[in-house]
Amino acid sequence: MTVMKTDNCRCSRRSVVQSLVGGSLLLPGIISELLGANDPPSDGNPLAPKAPHFTPRAQRVIFMNMSGGASHVDSFDYKPKLFEDHNKPYQVPAKMLEAFALNNRVVEKYFKRPDWEFKQRGKSGLWISNLFPHIAECADDLCLIRSMRNDHPDHFQATLGIHTGSVTFARPSIGSWISHGLGTVNQNLPSFVVLAPLTPYAGGQVWASDFLPGCHQGTPVAPGAEPIANIQRRQSDTSLQELELGLTQAFNQRHLSHRSGDANLTARIKSFETAFGMQSAAPEAFDLTKETDATLGLYGLPRGSTQGFAWQCLMARRLAERGVRFIELIDTGASNNWDAHGDMATHGPLAKNVDQPIAGLLKDLKSRGMLDDTLVVWTTEFGRTPFNTGKDAKGREHHAEVFTSWMAGGGVKGGFSYGESDDHGCAVAADEVHVHDFHATILHLMGLDHERLTYRHAGRDFRLTDVAGNVVHEIIA
Amino acid sequence: MHVGLRFWLPAFTISIVLFLTGLTVLQAAEPTAEDLEFFEKRIRPVLVTHCSECHSSGKKRQGGLLLDSRNGWMLGGDSGAAIVPGDPEKSLLILAVRQTDKDLRMPPKQKLTDSQIADLETWVKNGAADPRRADIGKSDENGAKPKYGMSLEEGRKFWSFQPVQDPHVPNVKNSAWPRQPIDHFVLARLEAAGVTPVPAADPRTLLRRVTFDLTGLPPTPDEMDAFLEDTSPQAFERVVDRLLDSRRYGERWGRHWLDVVRYADTCGNASDYPVPQAYRYRDWVIRAFNRDLPYDQFLREQIAGDLLPAASDAERFEHITATGYLAIARRFGGDRKGEHHLTLEDTIDNVGRALLGCSLSCARCHDHKFDPFTMSDYYGLYGIFESTRYPYPGAEADKKQADFVPLMTPAEIDAFLGPHRQQVAMLDAEIKMQEAAEATARNLPDSPEKAKAVELVVKALAEVRQKRATTVAQEPVINNAYAVADAKGANTKLQLRGDPKRLGDEVPRHFPAVLGGQVVPADSTSSGRLQLADWITDPRNPLTARVIVNRIWQYHFGRGIVPTPNDFGVRGQAPSHPELLDYLATRFIESGWSIKQMHKRILLSQTWQQASRADSNEAVAHFASNAKLDPHNDLFWKFSRYRLDAESIRDTLLYVSGDLDESAAAAVHPFPPQHTWGWTQHNPFVANYETRRRSIYLMQQRLKKNPYLALFDGADPSSSTGVRLPSTTPLQALFVMNDPLAHAESTKFATRAMSMGLDETTRIAAAHQLAWNRPPTSDELQASTEFLDLYRARLAELKTPPDQVDLKAWSALARALLSSNEFVFVD
Repeated sequence: MTVMKTDNCRCSRRSVVQSLVGGSLLLPGIISELLGANDPPSDGNPLAPKAPHFTPRAQRVIFMNMSGGASHVDSFDYKPKLFEDHNKPYQVPAKMLEAFALNNRVVEKYFKRPDWEFKQRGKSGLWISNLFPHIAECADDLCLIRSMRNDHPDHFQATLGIHTGSVTFARPSIGSWISHGLGTVNQNLPSFVVLAPLTPYAGGQVWASDFLPGCHQGTPVAPGAEPIANIQRRQSDTSLQELELGLTQAFNQRHLSHRSGDANLTARIKSFETAFGMQSAAPEAFDLTKETDATLGLYGLPRGSTQGFAWQCLMARRLAERGVRFIELIDTGASNNWDAHGDMATHGPLAKNVDQPIAGLLKDLKSRGMLDDTLVVWTTEFGRTPFNTGKDAKGREHHAEVFTSWMAGGGVKGGFSYGESDDHGCAVAADEVHVHDFHATILHLMGLDHERLTYRHAGRDFRLTDVAGNVVHEIIA
Repeated sequence: MHVGLRFWLPAFTISIVLFLTGLTVLQAAEPTAEDLEFFEKRIRPVLVTHCSECHSSGKKRQGGLLLDSRNGWMLGGDSGAAIVPGDPEKSLLILAVRQTDKDLRMPPKQKLTDSQIADLETWVKNGAADPRRADIGKSDENGAKPKYGMSLEEGRKFWSFQPVQDPHVPNVKNSAWPRQPIDHFVLARLEAAGVTPVPAADPRTLLRRVTFDLTGLPPTPDEMDAFLEDTSPQAFERVVDRLLDSRRYGERWGRHWLDVVRYADTCGNASDYPVPQAYRYRDWVIRAFNRDLPYDQFLREQIAGDLLPAASDAERFEHITATGYLAIARRFGGDRKGEHHLTLEDTIDNVGRALLGCSLSCARCHDHKFDPFTMSDYYGLYGIFESTRYPYPGAEADKKQADFVPLMTPAEIDAFLGPHRQQVAMLDAEIKMQEAAEATARNLPDSPEKAKAVELVVKALAEVRQKRATTVAQEPVINNAYAVADAKGANTKLQLRGDPKRLGDEVPRHFPAVLGGQVVPADSTSSGRLQLADWITDPRNPLTARVIVNRIWQYHFGRGIVPTPNDFGVRGQAPSHPELLDYLATRFIESGWSIKQMHKRILLSQTWQQASRADSNEAVAHFASNAKLDPHNDLFWKFSRYRLDAESIRDTLLYVSGDLDESAAAAVHPFPPQHTWGWTQHNPFVANYETRRRSIYLMQQRLKKNPYLALFDGADPSSSTGVRLPSTTPLQALFVMNDPLAHAESTKFATRAMSMGLDETTRIAAAHQLAWNRPPTSDELQASTEFLDLYRARLAELKTPPDQVDLKAWSALARALLSSNEFVFVD
């Protein structure tokens, strides 16, 4: 029988596999991937691309989540009156008091002035503070939503809320819903990737598919040597793994030939092909060596670094280019994050860590013509109180009553602001955007009707938006 | 023969009558005749004339508000409750009719007269007596059709709420085929549909199938040989008996139950505190299956074990351990108080889905939209669990466990804690001594010596105090269980829209009306769990037996007779074989609720023993013609091939590699000692403990799923998993291809196979036997041989040290076998 040639120790997979095929009675067809054929994903594949409900404005989402509660009044929601009324007393409505510890629920609090100056930015003149000087340069691409509201003033619940729409019970994440609704175009990469250095509040529930099929769950990727579990082959040489997979698939083909028409068997055969492809596609996607210095500079990422939000942002662009449907970037985790009870000054270094990378991502997407069909979302689980218990307080508490998120690209209006908080940023004053509305709008931009994107589970049809949610048409360009 | 139907109906009717005549909703203080007269004369006319146009269930419901029943105004509209009895100033209705607030003016067209307003104020001030009763949203006072969902009358007619029947075994044309009554029921449907059952599976397939089914592991080559040689008619039955007697049976079927009751080793609160004692309940479940504890008793012990009589301390402790079922309900929040109403909600949700196949928790905020359950039914159960003390697993604000139930007698506790108490007592004595010494030192006349002496004794005292504090913190934990106990029995109040801050009328502790409506006696000071356990396991309860026999059927066939095992309601799917379901439920109860007897009944049937694949041209045509008529095998004309679940894949991998740890010692997780616990929501408990034990013993967290089990579609440890939905993902393939476990086990497998024969052909055959329970065909043998040659040659080219070549090549062959479809699918 033919044993492969060994010129420079480089034997083509095709020859190895074909030698196995040729030398054996076994094999009518070995894996198509190994032989170079590239079958389009079959109908039985739940990740195959699916038609949206209507023409989408965006093909993919990059969802950035600032963990811990980023302050709205210090960043994107300019409240001149809050500067003026510093240390003036404020009678706090009962529902806002729930965010305070039991021993700290005195009704009279004092306003606290923002610690950063605001300026009008770009042609649009959006007011943005010095906390995010780089993002401010992209003001004309931003669509601020200054009337966001979540359902719970605690991290755990609010984090679930912004991801799943439910602050109590386990439900699928928005990324899983979109994967379920649209599938994905690159079968060599997961449809929903979460780039997170640390475990967020509520852990894996944040990207869980819950009752949706497991292939829609987020694939968590931590910066480092092996971003996707078991992506690196353990054999000392590719040819060895190819031989091994060739035999597996030969066994599988023979097994299948006696059980023809079983879609579960073929799906599993296919999954090995995808996995084999991922072993090279994923490392290629995660390999930044071919990025230019100019690009790295745009994000502020030192060459060779695989850490920090700059790495996450650049990876987001690369995954977006490669067809990943939903990419989530979580900044920090369940500790040492935006939760500035003690001192707002801690927002400074956190903002510095994400500011240039986010602006770099927006500029990079734009220059590559990708911003038009990539929806970039920036959010946090809730804002922070414009007031605190004593005068001259340094920190701010949790505030789900109103906060600011923003979107860019993907069919939203640039240089635009929607919704208002009241004079001090305490409550929604106009055009409330509840988390359900926020989700409905994201789905809409992806060409999905949030009332039609359902899944039958435990006897009823579930939706991301439960029984609520209105698309905010006003922000759509 | 009808299961107690004659006796059942009158009792049922009586309880319903009792239930509907005023016990549904109790009132805090009964209104006087004068109050009611005032309502009828002065209030009702005003409401009807001026309000009903826009606020009654038959007409409009402006602002979400109904004013045509007491519950209507209690539940309130979009702005909240319309009336606060006794407090006109807080009642929106009064503020509205006064028309002093520009945003709140009612009636909109014409203001009421001053005397009408004054009457309303008086009425509210005196407690707002209102006789107009209606179950919320269910029906108006005239008993008209409910706004949504089913009325009680309709509910009783729905199939799953009807009494279980004992149907006649149907006649069939092909009388040669059936072996068990089950087969008659199945064949009758097949014949009616023009589908013919396929031939039985071959013995080899059958042994592999039944061994995985009952134990989650494959047969050994020796077991296979023995079975193939045994030609007696009882051969298969003997195998079933052997497997049912194996400890592995409980480890397999206990896991099914743990799916349904959403077992986890952590509590699920914001920092996911571990519960090191939870395993005792897990092991109790395994033991219960192994000793075939009658299912009714199995449920009774889990709901009310602590309240059952026990013949010995040992039995009492077993009963207490069983209530771990209630204790493992999910915790929420970050402190001692937590959000306990959500834990109770989780309990009721699970009792509904797991035991009764009902989505009871839908009735938490409103009457069930589809099934005949009212909010009153929900809070009738709520009161029972609210009267139950749940153990506290620790949380951010208070990290120490509390209210766990001892599994030791007081004397044993004394003996156990004796040495520690003695140690503390000795330290106390030393502290006293040092305190005396300090006093003595301080009484010395001032001098440099005094200062020195005081300094020394203060230091010594601080040290010994510190030592005492450390010792006390490290008190050994007695044997105790994550289990419940009775608190003071009391009814609860309805929570309007599920909001525990908005309370409605008191509801007696009771069983849902459509299931019998039995009520905990008003003077009972216990929780009512004992009664609840009896109601659930009452043979006349139409659901309990049906739900469990359906689950058993499902785990044998891959699909239940009711395909939605956790939902026997309107939104679930109807049974494909309703008579068969009732037949099985009846036999089940008759057998003394024996699960093992039900297994035998099913496994010995022709239906279960059918082939899953066609092995001849004739059979191919047979399968094809059946598939045209019943493509999804809804009628059970063949056995449906399935992929092994997460546990079986891992267990089998370890087992065939000779690496599975099956020691009898309890599998206890190596959690850090309690006195070191400091987890917060910012820094929650996260761990993954490696073990070579069976996967049922893997540590499972609520918040961060065990990564292996999550990857292979394991059960959701946060909510009841009735059916596992297998996914096929590339990440699973990557696990098989590259995970250290897969590689370690394949090397062990290779070593084992290489020792199983003198020549390579024998070894290859042995490897196939281990992995697939069959010898290789000649072409598979040839492919394997060629593969080893090719692989060795390639290794040599890659300059692999010669002494490693053989094992590496064999490990690769092992991986190909262990990652093949034949390894993970069961025919």
